[in-house]
Amino acid sequence: MSDSNKTTQETATIRRDKKDRATEAPACGKDSIQPDRRSFLAGAAAFLGLISVSSCSWQEFVQNHFQRMTKTEIEETVERLRAEYKGKYGKDFVVGTEAPIDGTLFGYALDIQRCIGCRRCVYACVDENNQTRNPQMQYIRVLRFKDGNMDLEESSIYYDPEEVPEKGYYYMPVQCQHCANAPCTKVCPVRATWTEPDGIVVVDYNWCIGCRYCMAACPYMGRWFNFADPVIPADQVNTQTHYLGNRPRMRNVVEKCTFCIQRVRVGKYPMCVEVCPVGARKFGNLLDPDSEISRIISTKRVFRLKEELNTQPKFYYFFA
Amino acid sequence: MNGHIGSLKIALLVMALALLGACLMPGTGPVQAQAPQESQSEESGVAVSGQEFPVPLVPLPKTITPCRACHGPEKDFPVQFKRHEDLLVHKNIRLAHGGVRVWCLDCHHPDNRNFLLPLSDGKPIDFEHSYLLCGKCHGTKYRDWRNGIHGKRTGSWNGEKQYFLCVSCHNPHLPKFKPLEPMPPPAKPWTPKETQAKH
Ligand code: HEC
Ligand code: HEC
Ligand code: HEC
Ligand code: HEC
Repeated sequence: MSDSNKTTQETATIRRDKKDRATEAPACGKDSIQPDRRSFLAGAAAFLGLISVSSCSWQEFVQNHFQRMTKTEIEETVERLRAEYKGKYGKDFVVGTEAPIDGTLFGYALDIQRCIGCRRCVYACVDENNQTRNPQMQYIRVLRFKDGNMDLEESSIYYDPEEVPEKGYYYMPVQCQHCANAPCTKVCPVRATWTEPDGIVVVDYNWCIGCRYCMAACPYMGRWFNFADPVIPADQVNTQTHYLGNRPRMRNVVEKCTFCIQRVRVGKYPMCVEVCPVGARKFGNLLDPDSEISRIISTKRVFRLKEELNTQPKFYYFFA
Repeated sequence: MNGHIGSLKIALLVMALALLGACLMPGTGPVQAQAPQESQSEESGVAVSGQEFPVPLVPLPKTITPCRACHGPEKDFPVQFKRHEDLLVHKNIRLAHGGVRVWCLDCHHPDNRNFLLPLSDGKPIDFEHSYLLCGKCHGTKYRDWRNGIHGKRTGSWNGEKQYFLCVSCHNPHLPKFKPLEPMPPPAKPWTPKETQAKH
């Protein structure tokens, strides 16, 4: 399923694009900024620290890694982003930074006997998570298999009948599997992607350099790259966001499913769970023995995708 | 994974057969698949007090309630325990549940139509607790539903939840889940090579 050759070949081009983007905005005096991000950072941090807050994107450029930001830095960053989004979409955004809830490790389960392949989840996810509409991006792929067949290579995602389910087929939605032993986070050269203590694999979009090694490393095609500037109509944009989740992204960064971090960190179900008309999608705390997810794992036959790779997904498929 | 494939096959066979048998009359039956969302947004957070599960209230059609208006004790109206197809007042109800084995009065109380048949405790089940009735014949599914495995819950994964009733998804008279129109497939140049070959 992976597409690694292509990915590495294109890496160089993409890097250059990214730098171009960073040096585009003329009003901010970008001309003087040399493209090497980290040496620039080290050298110029002190100088830039003196300049007062404005919405110029040099601040974006020198912004620290999310995990290393102080409380004030986070607050400033959130304010800067809110101003940026307000300028772009004319709306007031909430950019949450809710921390993991103690004692939680999120898991997900999908009843493949129940799923009818209707793709309601796909579009609810796009709306909730501010995925670009054009070019199109969808975190969830619904694979259709012939009965009795489990070969991923022979599945189709383009099926389009009048009604689902179709006779002789079954459906298997695939999205980020939030692996406990995630290969994607290990290959990131700048650690712009990592696993949070509650098990969610996240990306700091402002730290991502767009090299796409993580995409090559993911055996589930669970990551997506912004080849162009994301386009979301202002009337469709979701203003309830999280820094590590559905806040608007930019060109040349990688993004992915975060179990709707902006929802689950405040106790809500992910949007795909909420919208599934057949109730095939289950979500909860693996550390709570009474949660739906724990009950499923302990009482039903479950399997995980490509288990042989030892990625240890926290995304289970089950037969009820 | 071979074991899974076997059971999948069986499951899909069941599903496919049931699909064939599904005849759907628009506007018939108490609740269709989309109804729960409506009733939920109307009365979000409203749960029947004293209930074991937080379930939405699904009001029956006003035109047909209270059942006692026609099926009252004073009406000398013959109770028909035998299966027959020529219903008049209830001609909108087409029963396709469990083949010819299940009849109206396997579920509805013959002497008090405002209620469903009782559990072994002898107390008739009201319509709000219809899941108890379903549980009599579908014990495993009912247990899964109670455990949040079958069916659906919305709300908060670590707090208050709303449960969808069995009848929110299954019309008790035509319980086969209603097929849906799928949302559009993804745009074509979406993934490279392999999937395209299939078309
Ligand atoms: C307008 C009068 C009327 C109302 C209101 C009404 N029924 Fe009936 N019902 C009838 C008649 C008449 C029959 C006899 C069969 C037929 O003609 O449909 C019947 C038959 C039935 C039967 C078939 C078994 C039998 O004894 O014949 C069931 C079950 C039933 N009704 C349930 C209900 C329920 C449940 C309600 C309330 C939700 C209800 N009815 C409301 C008039 C009514
Ligand atoms: C498997 C059990 C079951 C069988 C069999 C069954 N019903 Fe029902 N029926 C129900 C339940 C449960 C409800 C309440 C649905 C709700 O709460 O939305 C109901 C609701 C109704 C209603 C009120 C809502 C409506 O659709 O108008 C009528 C009338 C009714 N049934 C008549 C009948 C008749 C007539 C038959 C036989 C032809 C029958 N039922 C067979 C379980 C059953
Ligand atoms: C009197 C026993 C009885 C009751 C009560 C009952 N059912 Fe059934 N149900 C059956 C039988 C029998 C079948 C057929 C099972 C089979 O063929 O294996 C069936 C089948 C089904 C199916 C599968 C339909 C299909 O075509 O795939 C569903 C869904 C279902 N019932 C839902 C319900 C719900 C919801 C209720 C409560 C409103 C309910 N049942 C109450 C006896 C019952
Ligand atoms: C969120 C919607 C939903 C709810 C709520 C729900 N079901 Fe189902 N149920 C389904 C779907 C979807 C299927 C699979 C499609 C089908 O066979 O109709 C199914 C299948 C079934 C079957 C057929 C056996 C099988 O495994 O396919 C039975 C029996 C059944 N349900 C009973 C119940 C009972 C009893 C309840 C309540 C305790 C209930 N369901 C609640 C959606 C639901």
